Amino acid sequence: MNLRLIVLASKNIRNRGIRSWLTMIGIFIGVAAVVALISMGQGLQAAVTGQFAALDPDKLIVTNVDTGFGPPGSTAVKKLNEHDKELIESVNGVDVVVQRLIRTVSFEYNDKTDFKYVANIPTEKEAIEVIYDALNLELEKGRLLDENDRRKVILGHNYLSDDFGKSIRVGKKVIIQGEEFEVIGFLKKTSTFILNGIIIMPDEDLREILNIGDEFDILVVQVKDRNELPDIKDILEKKIRKDRDLDEGEDDFSIQTPEQSIQTINTILDTINLVIVGIAAISLLVGGIGITNTMYTSVLERIKEIGIMKSVGAKNSDILTLFLAESALLGLVGGIIGVIIGLALAYAAASGISTAFGGLEFSISLNVPFLIFAALFSVFVGTISGVFPALQASKLNPVDALRS
Amino acid sequence: MDKIGQYFKISLRNLKRKKLRSWLTMIGIFVSIATIFVLISLSLGLDASIKEQFRKLGSDKFFIDPKGQLAGPGTGGAVTFTERDIRTIEKVSGVKGLSYFVIGSAKIEKDNQVRYANVVGIPLDRTNLWAETGFIDAEFGKILRKGDSGKIDIGSQYYHNDVFEDPVMVGDKISIQGINFKVKSNLKTLGNPPDDKIIYMSVKDFRETFPDKGEDIDQITVQVNEGADINRIVEKVKKKLDDARDVDDDSRDYRISTPEELLATIGNVLNIIAGFLLGVAGISLLVGGIGITNTMYTSVLERRKEIGILKSVGAKNSDVLAIFTIEAGLLGLVGGIIGVVIGIIFSKGLEFIAVNMLAASILQVSIPLYLIVGVLVFSFLVGCFSGLWPSWQAVKVSPVDALRYE
Repeated sequence: MNLRLIVLASKNIRNRGIRSWLTMIGIFIGVAAVVALISMGQGLQAAVTGQFAALDPDKLIVTNVDTGFGPPGSTAVKKLNEHDKELIESVNGVDVVVQRLIRTVSFEYNDKTDFKYVANIPTEKEAIEVIYDALNLELEKGRLLDENDRRKVILGHNYLSDDFGKSIRVGKKVIIQGEEFEVIGFLKKTSTFILNGIIIMPDEDLREILNIGDEFDILVVQVKDRNELPDIKDILEKKIRKDRDLDEGEDDFSIQTPEQSIQTINTILDTINLVIVGIAAISLLVGGIGITNTMYTSVLERIKEIGIMKSVGAKNSDILTLFLAESALLGLVGGIIGVIIGLALAYAAASGISTAFGGLEFSISLNVPFLIFAALFSVFVGTISGVFPALQASKLNPVDALRS
Repeated sequence: MDKIGQYFKISLRNLKRKKLRSWLTMIGIFVSIATIFVLISLSLGLDASIKEQFRKLGSDKFFIDPKGQLAGPGTGGAVTFTERDIRTIEKVSGVKGLSYFVIGSAKIEKDNQVRYANVVGIPLDRTNLWAETGFIDAEFGKILRKGDSGKIDIGSQYYHNDVFEDPVMVGDKISIQGINFKVKSNLKTLGNPPDDKIIYMSVKDFRETFPDKGEDIDQITVQVNEGADINRIVEKVKKKLDDARDVDDDSRDYRISTPEELLATIGNVLNIIAGFLLGVAGISLLVGGIGITNTMYTSVLERRKEIGILKSVGAKNSDVLAIFTIEAGLLGLVGGIIGVVIGIIFSKGLEFIAVNMLAASILQVSIPLYLIVGVLVFSFLVGCFSGLWPSWQAVKVSPVDALRYE
């Protein structure tokens, strides 16, 4: 019975030929737009958070309160200092505390100057390992900095290009903030913009050339046992509060896991995504109204047919189901085509974006449950759109219908 | 002309005959037109309010920023300006005056409530270019002037949006980095919340409040003489500053931007965003247009006999084409009219929320007449265009076949 219903419904749809196609085009354009935008939104989110999340989740990040929008710690009211570091180190379960600085410096080579990001590498062996491990630094050429290196730097992948008129190579001298440094290595290309353009130098050197005293932008806390992370976070918060004589709620610092620290960005991205997908979803609404219209027309055209069906024994519910099946089928076919086209569009756009921003890893992940959901949602839209015309058809009086 | 009037009459009558279907078709159009209308009016409004801010500031000024900032001014760049740079710029002929600012992040305290805010130091012994142009203006009290010490101007958020539990008023005291300051004025709103949370004080007070900042200067604003060619003065200042800072084209560590350049950049960004959103919204119009095609095509199928009769009593192909195309255009136009009405209500509502609840008065909507007319013409054209193919099907109907039909 059910199968016959579907056969009948699809025959009716095929009978209307071009008109059925026009109706489905409306649906699949809407579905394609939503699928493409959501897939791209997920890709974008991964690409953007990838810029910040180059840290493992088994670490805590301590910063002081910021007042502006910039890299973590850059607009802190009061910078973290050695005292804070020692305080954190004294907590049980804390393995290593690594001080991080991110600044900008002038970088000169071949008589050309530009301004670049610089990050520090701590000077203790243990801490160095934490950072190399956390940032996943891989070398393209040369070697990494170790605890004994001074006045030496590693450069990001971008420096291998000829931006300075002459290529920089391992062993060359460059001038940073007026001081000479030897280049000992280049990093592999990564999808993180900042890392590709970064200069990495020993902590002491960075403090010296920029006249930075006892202050840190961020303290990265490596814990011994990652299961204790939440407990250690609580203990640290209490300790720092007590040390600074603050009441709860007055905190001028924050302790976050790397995931938490990108939450704000995720919220912003989610909101933007919601607006865009919302606008795109309007086309789905319009497409749904198109189905209503088609089904309504179809009911008017088939009044006689409905009358005959009823007079040979079809129940109201049979008619209702038949028309609902037709509109659901319009939604289903439209939805499937839409999902395919939407995916194709998203992949095309992603490869376009990856090419345009060389090195940015902008990939679309095939989210199968979401795609199935999108197709089912389209069936839902089709069914809902058909309710009103189908009810109208089912309520027709056979006598009136046959007379018309 | 008379003929066209008749076309419209016939088309309108046909649409009225199929009321429900016409309405359903038009819903598709007006939903999408309303979306497009809201987006355009918002972006026009935003563009206008940004231009207005620059206009207030005057086209006779340009800005000098250090290169190598992490984000905005004051985010730990490698380069800052000094008093020496100020003197160098002042000596350039054609420069009427200049002002500058220093920015720092501060812990602020009132009634034992602690907050964090940006504090800007401005030199009071010079003309306050921002106040002079009305860019910043007092809502209550008087703006800081020469000789003021221990006093601050505070952004509108402190009064209107409860930064602290109670609104901060003229005469109140706020502790900044542990030093007490008295509020001399509440500023009028600039329209974007972060800027409206800034606290202004004299550079002299700033130096005492933020000893770490040394003698740094974060940004310089230069005003040129009346009637002077701003671009020529920019070049002159650049040359002098290059000499003084011992830099050249390859090593310049600062950036000069004129209001036009900044406006062009902001305008570009806005256009890209608005273009993208309009593109997304345009998809629904496309779907709505296909709805019109569908309705018209159905209508042609239903009215084959009528078309046959029309033709056999002398209607030319062009008449049939016109009647059907105009019918489709009317679907678009009426949909457009309703869309514009809904769009106006919606965008005004958004503006109300933005201005009254979010204190973001920069989010104004602008509804110029040309936008309304343009959108209506556009929706009529979309309708006509969607109806072209079905109308052509109507033209192709042969009268003999059509009359034999059924």
